[in-house]
Amino acid sequence: MTDQTMAAGRGPSADSGGVKRIDYAPTALNPKPSRRYYIWMMAPSIILLAGISIYPFIWLIYMSLHTVGEVNQPDVWNDFKNFTRFATDGKFHNGWLLLLQYSAMCMALEVGIGVLLAVILNRSKLEKVLVTLILMPMMMAPIITGLVWLFLYNGAFGWYHWLLQSIGILGPTSVLGDSDIAMFGIVAVDVWQWTPLITLITLAGLKRVPQDQLEANMVDGAGPFRNFVSIALPNIYPFLLIAVLLRFMDNFRFIDAILVLTGGGPADATNILPVYLFDVSFQYFKLGRGAAIALTLLLVTIVLGMVLVKLFEDPRRKIKHTGFD
Amino acid sequence: MASREIAQYPSSTRRVLSVATIIFIAFYLLWTLLPFLIMFLSSFKDLLDAFQLPAPGDWGGVSLLFTFEPTTKHFENLFVDLNFGTYLGNSLIASLGSAAVSVVLGSFAAYALSRFDFRGKNDLFFWIISTRMAPVVAVLVPLYAIFRSLDLIGTLPGLILAYTTFNLPFAIWILKGFFDNVPYAVEEAAMCDGATRLQALRMILPLVAPGIGAFLVLCVLFGWNDYLFASIIGSGGAKTLPPATIGLVQPQNIQWGSIMAAGVVTTVPMLFLGLLIRRYLVAGLTMGAVRE
Amino acid sequence: MVAVNIQSVWKYYGKTVAVKDLNLLCRENSFLAILGPSGCGKSSTLRMLAGLEHISAGDIFFGEQRVNMLPPKDRDIAMVFENYALYPHKTVFENMANPLRLRGVDKAEIDRRVKAAAAMLQIDALLDRKPMQLSGGQKQRTAIGRAIVREPKVFLFDEPIAHLDAKLRAHMRGELKHLQRRLETTTIYVTHDQLEAMSMADNIAVMHEGVLQQFGTPSEIYNHPANEWVAGFVGEPPMNFLNCRLELTSEGVVAVHPACRIRLNDAQRRILEEKQAEPDVKLGIRPDNIAYRAGANSGLDIPATVFVTENLGGDMIVEVTLGDDRLTIKTKIGPIANLDDPCTIAFDVSRIHLFSTTTGVAYF
Repeated sequence: MTDQTMAAGRGPSADSGGVKRIDYAPTALNPKPSRRYYIWMMAPSIILLAGISIYPFIWLIYMSLHTVGEVNQPDVWNDFKNFTRFATDGKFHNGWLLLLQYSAMCMALEVGIGVLLAVILNRSKLEKVLVTLILMPMMMAPIITGLVWLFLYNGAFGWYHWLLQSIGILGPTSVLGDSDIAMFGIVAVDVWQWTPLITLITLAGLKRVPQDQLEANMVDGAGPFRNFVSIALPNIYPFLLIAVLLRFMDNFRFIDAILVLTGGGPADATNILPVYLFDVSFQYFKLGRGAAIALTLLLVTIVLGMVLVKLFEDPRRKIKHTGFD
Repeated sequence: MASREIAQYPSSTRRVLSVATIIFIAFYLLWTLLPFLIMFLSSFKDLLDAFQLPAPGDWGGVSLLFTFEPTTKHFENLFVDLNFGTYLGNSLIASLGSAAVSVVLGSFAAYALSRFDFRGKNDLFFWIISTRMAPVVAVLVPLYAIFRSLDLIGTLPGLILAYTTFNLPFAIWILKGFFDNVPYAVEEAAMCDGATRLQALRMILPLVAPGIGAFLVLCVLFGWNDYLFASIIGSGGAKTLPPATIGLVQPQNIQWGSIMAAGVVTTVPMLFLGLLIRRYLVAGLTMGAVRE
Repeated sequence: MVAVNIQSVWKYYGKTVAVKDLNLLCRENSFLAILGPSGCGKSSTLRMLAGLEHISAGDIFFGEQRVNMLPPKDRDIAMVFENYALYPHKTVFENMANPLRLRGVDKAEIDRRVKAAAAMLQIDALLDRKPMQLSGGQKQRTAIGRAIVREPKVFLFDEPIAHLDAKLRAHMRGELKHLQRRLETTTIYVTHDQLEAMSMADNIAVMHEGVLQQFGTPSEIYNHPANEWVAGFVGEPPMNFLNCRLELTSEGVVAVHPACRIRLNDAQRRILEEKQAEPDVKLGIRPDNIAYRAGANSGLDIPATVFVTENLGGDMIVEVTLGDDRLTIKTKIGPIANLDDPCTIAFDVSRIHLFSTTTGVAYF
């Protein structure tokens, strides 16, 4: 038997560890098996996605370098004018500033209310029912949301208009008609629709907080508040971060409600960058300028996306479970 | 925080807190549900009733919200005069079609990505998901041009393809997570039992089926609720509910009654779908990063 | 039934080498255990046999047939996985019927064979249950059932009973061996548990760091370990090692340790001369081959002191200090001794092993 265990001609060596070692390489490698069917499985999706992302992207770059969209005019190279005019484009600066303001307000309110709500619901006997009720706004089409709130804010017959006047914080002008408060008006809509998402995510995080850690901390003398801050919060923090980034990027993507509610007005008070971009491209048909603006927006999105994907990896690993039992 | 099992001891601060908690929840529920309630009630009101508003500060006037003669004329208007039946059908076909295409193509791609390691896989993966994250407004112009050159503007296949642009990357991303959770050993066992590669994939499909089903519903929801693509790519021959509802906003005549009715028609099915896939909602809306 | 022949097989994962130049033969209808710690390449070897992994270099033959490029379904093997890999959405019956269905066996025949296998494994009452409703042992039997319904050419077991509790594991060892004898199917069984390998296998291949260390019958592996590593890995409690120096004296060859002198017998002397052993050696002796008596001057050759005693019921493990070394001794139960109590010990010279300190290879 034993003779079969030795490779003919070459003796495996052994060293002081008493372990037999092999310090040569195989003379030839076998051909690798074909993985072609995996590639065939991916191909349709990849081709389709390439068609709807890479091609438009190249087109976008082309457009951003030309004057495009003049009736019966060929596209003209314009020496980066679409980009250089950013320097003097007040609405562009304003758009970024407002986008950041808008996002910051939405985020702060949604996280604040959402986390508080989650902490309360997590202890509640009615958790299931309440969660089902509060997540309803997320199911509404943003465009319908916009229309309903437009109705609620209406200066003549809107119930929220009446409510705000009744408690004495609103003058005769409607919320969306006053450039000082219109921004709050659209923030409220976003908060109404998307706070439940933060709550759901926080709840999922809270359920995952290790029981033994909480108990140990309690035994160590922590009250509920300290327990939340020092044990629960670090555990749900990565989830919250993902939620915030996702919402942030959605603020770039979804402008349906704002288009309906204010269209960027009054006096550009809610003209956040994506809305401005929409106007440039689809109201004035300055497609070249629009493309240049779109590229700046894309750039920021890609950076945010990379951060997001990095974040994904961490909780994903934690959550992943193997086996069935 | 995390559980109900931790003992709680009565104290005066706790009592104050629990009252504050109840008030907070009550207010939050009111805030969440009021827009639904008003939309719902207004859709059954004559416009004269819908526009009734008490004077500012007249809290007793809240009763006006509930005093009206119910009428279904707005719904009749939508479906009899305004062709909303067709739009509803378009919404249904486009969102279902896109969901089906996305899930079928996505399943294959996700399976391959889950089981097949190759160089640059992470980059490919990032690229896939970035196509989903890109702001729609940014790529709408070039997409419009592409769709026009393919003669897809204003057609249902065009709209299905348009929705697939955001549903497919999402499908690949989420479904890969589902496949990652199925131990490869199950397929290996199947292959040892005599299954071919494709048969082995079919063996594990039932394991991911609930996830895929929930996910299909989510894709329907995304497609159904979309407005920008629907208004630009679907304009004309493939009008869906959201652009059709916007169409009721005319400069001189905003048909509020019909808009609210259209809102109800658009929203109610989605509320039920949301309820149906409640368990997968968090995973779906966070691209699988968070699971319950 | 076929012999399985592994010839100069290598397995690379990228740059890391999992299996190095492996040559193994598992004869027709015999039971081969591949034994080694985790990461030794044993599972990779099994998966290459199953066709689940690509063979980087070398060849595998089932009988006369080279199977390198055959997919698992065409190899006519059955495999039992470590975590059972049952199909959770199928019943026990459907799980077991799966390989037959995939091969298009007709319904009545499937029914007959599944029921026969289930009866053999005593799971016939569970056929309608789903894996979720089964205990670990029952899942394990189902997984085995799925393997045996088809009467394959080769059985492959990947640590099939590692996750069962100790008592059930002991029981399943007997059953698996019985089953293999009864079915007479070539079987390759991967495990890190030497007890499983020793008790079931006809032959054992001991692997470490991707390299085959020794191939032989259980008794060859145990009684004649090929090198120091195998000697240390096989056996429980593990073998004791002492660094000694060989000296030729008037009494013959003596292994000299700072705390004792052990005279080797003539047969051993001849082997050392034949192999031209270097004077520095490592002496190995199993815990059962050392005699122990409590008390100073209690009659055995070598004085030592007790470090600790562990009562095992019928037996006792005594750890004693001998110079700077510590020895483990397995002996019949006796009085409990305390730290530094004096004792005497003696080595069964015919059962000692000597290893080269430079290469680790055994002289005997």
